[in-house]
Amino acid sequence: METFWNTIAAYNAATWPAQLLLVLSGAVLTLLLYKRPSGAVRTAMKIYMALLNFWIAGVYYLVYGEPREYHTLLALFWAIMGAIWIYDLAVKHASLERTGHHALFAGVLFLMPLAYPLCSLALGRSFPMMTSPVMPCSVAVFTIGLMLAFSERVNIILAMFLCHWALIGLSKVYFFGIPEDYLLACSVVPALYLFFREYIRMLDPAHSKPGPHVLNALLGILCLIIGGFFTFTLLHQLNLFAEI
Amino acid sequence: MKTRHELTEILDFIAEYATYLLGSGVHTSRAIRNSQRIGESLGVDIQLSSFQRSTILTVRDGETGEAFTRVVKIPALPISFERNSDLSALSWDALDEGLTLDEIRRRYAELTSKPRIDPIFVLLTVGLANASFCRLFGGDWTAMAIVFTSTLVGFAAKQRMQAHGVNHFLIFIIAAFMASLCASSALRFDCTAETALATSVLFLVPGVPLINGVIDIVEGHILIGCSRLINALLLIICIAVGLSATLLMVKDSLL
Repeated sequence: METFWNTIAAYNAATWPAQLLLVLSGAVLTLLLYKRPSGAVRTAMKIYMALLNFWIAGVYYLVYGEPREYHTLLALFWAIMGAIWIYDLAVKHASLERTGHHALFAGVLFLMPLAYPLCSLALGRSFPMMTSPVMPCSVAVFTIGLMLAFSERVNIILAMFLCHWALIGLSKVYFFGIPEDYLLACSVVPALYLFFREYIRMLDPAHSKPGPHVLNALLGILCLIIGGFFTFTLLHQLNLFAEI
Repeated sequence: MKTRHELTEILDFIAEYATYLLGSGVHTSRAIRNSQRIGESLGVDIQLSSFQRSTILTVRDGETGEAFTRVVKIPALPISFERNSDLSALSWDALDEGLTLDEIRRRYAELTSKPRIDPIFVLLTVGLANASFCRLFGGDWTAMAIVFTSTLVGFAAKQRMQAHGVNHFLIFIIAAFMASLCASSALRFDCTAETALATSVLFLVPGVPLINGVIDIVEGHILIGCSRLINALLLIICIAVGLSATLLMVKDSLL
């Protein structure tokens, strides 16, 4: 755990100007996607997302996360996600056109990376040993917000990668005691439900089975189980805090 | 007595029927039995030899001795036990009810156009099944959850690559690599990580070609049986390659 926070401190201390630049670029591109969406803005956003994922892989994990165990593995994980954005750009999969759905929830998710440092401050941490907006979990939350607000056809592999990352985040809360990662876990369960519900809504009941009702029920049960798992972890974590 | 036109019509239909069965994961002798049953209901003799990618069919009129032969490609179809069962039942209906070729063709079209299982439903249930495998092999709850999401990643990648027509063997290598890479995140936690890693790729094991290969060999169709087993073995090697890549990266060894 000490190694974990030391690497975060080293990363924040050395890269905060670059992080600031990345946050500002992300904010400007998101606003442009809302206000003046064009082909160039969409391409720029995809390039930005690929860059952001490669940044996490290269700078966060390979350079500053080097003292951590299995840092290359996590770097590869984020590099694959970066490569998926490049592939997306090449085949023009996600249109990044405004869907108009879940605007409020997506808006909350866009603000969530900024909530990470605030959570850290509230938990009594201080700069540089605190979470920042350009760290894996905050980038994951931002990506979910982007997919929710601007993707009619969600890239299912990317969504599954983020789902996996959220689960790891939840395990980190339990094993390493980093409650900030609840933010990602809290976001991903309803977001996954919404992704799949949109998909089910578009199904033609005549050409697929089981029917939309059964799929919706299965989806609801799965989300309840994941939500239950999340609540159990939360309560367990609270108990641990009480013991401390 | 059948006219030449009637014989070729029967042959064309049975060729389509038999290759559909073979492409959907039916073992050879069952495809032969079903085809011959339909042939019998229509008053002709059917002989069928099958290989991995194609089938040779001969239809012969018992009265005149006139025969026609076709070589037909076996299509690559998703495995569906429901279709196989429906199409087998159709061959019995044809015999028991003495159906005409037009009626058999109509029912065949109806059965093959029935809706398929939704890919997202398959994705979720495969994830649950693989997580259950993890439990059966002694994995704890954390390992099961990691295997579940790892399977979702690997299987979603497999589905997308299949939709884009990527090479079959490459799909297995990449899917095994992605699933095991995600499952290797279990190594960071205090859980049964080895079980999670080992079971994360089980969803790729080619069970149907393995079973069909053994059945074919046992029933005397040695050539196609061996072809199916070799194909299954190659897929297993691909899974091993994908898993080995992860193991070499995260553990610096294969054991």
